Amino acid sequence: MQLHATNLHKTYNIGGGDVRVLRGVNLKVESGQWVAVLGASGSGKSTLLHLLGGLDRPDDGSVQYDGKNLFNLEGGTLDRYRNAHVGFVFQFYHLLPELNARENVLIAAMIGRSVFGWPGARDACGKRADELLDRLGLKDRARHKPGKLSGGERQRVAIARALINEPDVLLADEPTGNLDAGTGEHILDLLRQLHAGGQSIVMVTHDQRISAAADRRELLIEGQLQHE
Amino acid sequence: MYKLVLILKYLRRKLAPMFAALAVTLCTAMVIIVISVMGGFLDLMRTSARKLTGDVIVHGDITGFRHYQEMIDAIEALPEADAATALISSFGLVNVNGHVVGAEVVGIDPEKFDNVVQYRDTLYWTSAHFLDMFRNDAFFTGQPPENQPAIEADIRTYEQNEFRDFGMAFKPLPHGEQLPGCVMGIEVAPTNLRNKQGKYKLVESRTLGHQVTVTVVPLSAKGTLGAYEPARRSFVIVNESKSGLYDIDKSRAYVPFDLLQKMLEMERIESPHFDPQTGETLPGKKVTPARATDIMVRGAPGVPLSQVRDAVQRATDAVVNDHGGDRFPFVMTWEDRHGVLLSAVQNEKGLITFLFAIISVVAFVMVATTFYNIVLEKTHDIGVLRAIGGSRIGVASIFLGYGLAIGVIGAVLGFGMAWVIVFNLNEINLFLCNKFDVCMWKPQTYYFDEVPEQINAIEVIWIMIGAVVSSVGGSMIPAVVAAMTDPAQSLRYE
Ligand SMILES: Nc1ncnc2c1ncn2[C@@H]1O[C@H](COP(=O)(O)OP(=O)(O)O)[C@@H](O)[C@H]1O
Ligand SMILES: [Mg+2]
Repeated sequence: MQLHATNLHKTYNIGGGDVRVLRGVNLKVESGQWVAVLGASGSGKSTLLHLLGGLDRPDDGSVQYDGKNLFNLEGGTLDRYRNAHVGFVFQFYHLLPELNARENVLIAAMIGRSVFGWPGARDACGKRADELLDRLGLKDRARHKPGKLSGGERQRVAIARALINEPDVLLADEPTGNLDAGTGEHILDLLRQLHAGGQSIVMVTHDQRISAAADRRELLIEGQLQHE
Repeated sequence: MYKLVLILKYLRRKLAPMFAALAVTLCTAMVIIVISVMGGFLDLMRTSARKLTGDVIVHGDITGFRHYQEMIDAIEALPEADAATALISSFGLVNVNGHVVGAEVVGIDPEKFDNVVQYRDTLYWTSAHFLDMFRNDAFFTGQPPENQPAIEADIRTYEQNEFRDFGMAFKPLPHGEQLPGCVMGIEVAPTNLRNKQGKYKLVESRTLGHQVTVTVVPLSAKGTLGAYEPARRSFVIVNESKSGLYDIDKSRAYVPFDLLQKMLEMERIESPHFDPQTGETLPGKKVTPARATDIMVRGAPGVPLSQVRDAVQRATDAVVNDHGGDRFPFVMTWEDRHGVLLSAVQNEKGLITFLFAIISVVAFVMVATTFYNIVLEKTHDIGVLRAIGGSRIGVASIFLGYGLAIGVIGAVLGFGMAWVIVFNLNEINLFLCNKFDVCMWKPQTYYFDEVPEQINAIEVIWIMIGAVVSSVGGSMIPAVVAAMTDPAQSLRYE
């Protein structure tokens, strides 16, 4: 697996004025790496992560996934990339409120499968979801809806959801940003374990201490990355 | 797979989908009820109209046509027709208890007439009415013991004889005036009033057994008035007829065919034959054939009415030609004959359906706005679904499927609701009427006793399809909005 962003540009227009958020970002992530992107609030970290995950389009530049430019892919292929090859973890968890923890995890597995394909995969996916929840310490929270879970628990459900399809790279957007220090440390431990198991991670954060956990740090300053 | 799961989950959410489904339910129910009731009235009128005319009617003009018996024989020999009967329809004055009305006086042969149009069923009073009156009306139950044997004798008479048989035979009642019988339209007599249930009460009827005088004006075969004196004759009312069409029942009197034919001088007349030149009496008689004004025909089962009509027309034309005649009676189907009346009701049904279709547009808008709100509320979820790999089409189809589900639920519930209401309309109406004095339907005012309780399956299927289609249509715009939602944007904030 190789994720390679080249010369990414993204400009937003607010009230007539242009905000040039990304101005030529280059980033290479290899298999098994844990890269932290460090930047002030509003520096464009989320924007960058969305581009890496194929959720948004740059004004210029490319993101190559195993040599293929994401933004030249057909819509369906790009959807499949997001579903199978990357796993998003957000600051605000972004779980679906109507689904319980286990369903929130499984929904990502369902998306890749049709009504007819699902019954065949159901048992295997269910087993994997249970294992993940178990591993993340959510065994007896599986039937709870997000509203009944604490912030740390929600974030762990979100991580389980990101992992259900065994993605090549985890894209984490301030995964501890909304959590108290203790809980944040717990989530960080989880990421450490995953990384130890060979999981590639791109994590963006504004927190120096958090970024220390990664094995490579990039600074996002004035729309460009600087190796630290 | 996720779409199905989410549709089901969203359906179990609180109020918004319930309101949408409720709107669909109410509109579906409303349209089904209106169409069913209007359709029911139309069917009632059609049935009544058909009973007045038979399937096909041979109609001359008020002066009548000749050789009707030959025509009947020819018609009954047709494979397309099962039965035929002649009648005479004329205008006259009817004096009921000093109340004089202008009426259509119709001469019939009741048995044959019944064979063509089920006339017997229109005779309103039956023995059951009398038995009920003797046994339950306070006037009779309150009679002193010495009068009871007489009442019991009456009860026995009515138990042993069906009262309708008197009407069918134009026979006077056992204790009444011994005059030829006649049958009045039930609304002719001003004393016939109907109760809340729309029924006439025997106790209040002041007509049965009463004498009426019928006056008609004979017309010559050429249609000249004044060649003859008006003819007057007394009858006794032996029953009343309720066809179901108010205008008819208000102004019609049935009398025996032969008697009316004589009164109108339409019977077969043999007169001496004179030589026009010499004025001498010639041997043999001059025969003026009998006339009738109409022949009613019952078609053979399964034969299209237009075919019956054409066959009857050929048969009657042949009879006219055989006699070297040149006046051919018209042959019409019952629908041709009552076309104006029926198309009026048909139009009304169409108009009301149209009005309610417009109301259904409200349901459509309601579904659309409800869904639009759900989409707005769900932009966040939509972003999440896109982030974990859901496609634009997938997200859109969740909302379309949601609309479909609400449409189906609403249509089915609406049908159920309409079913319950339509099949209990009369009870509901009576209940509201008695309890709260809110009468949607007053049998006294409208001529049918009951609101018809019927539902047409094909119409229901179309209405339900319409409800489902408009729900899906209503969710179309929100679905497109959902598909166009920028996921990166909706995920930026909590
Ligand atoms: N859709 C948008 N329209 C206008 N400005 C935007 C939009 N999205 C992001 N921005 C701006 O771009 C900048 C970078 O945003 P973001 O990538 O979320 O930063 P970070 O994640 O580092 O806090 C911010 O100043 C934000 O206000
Ligand atoms: Mg951010």
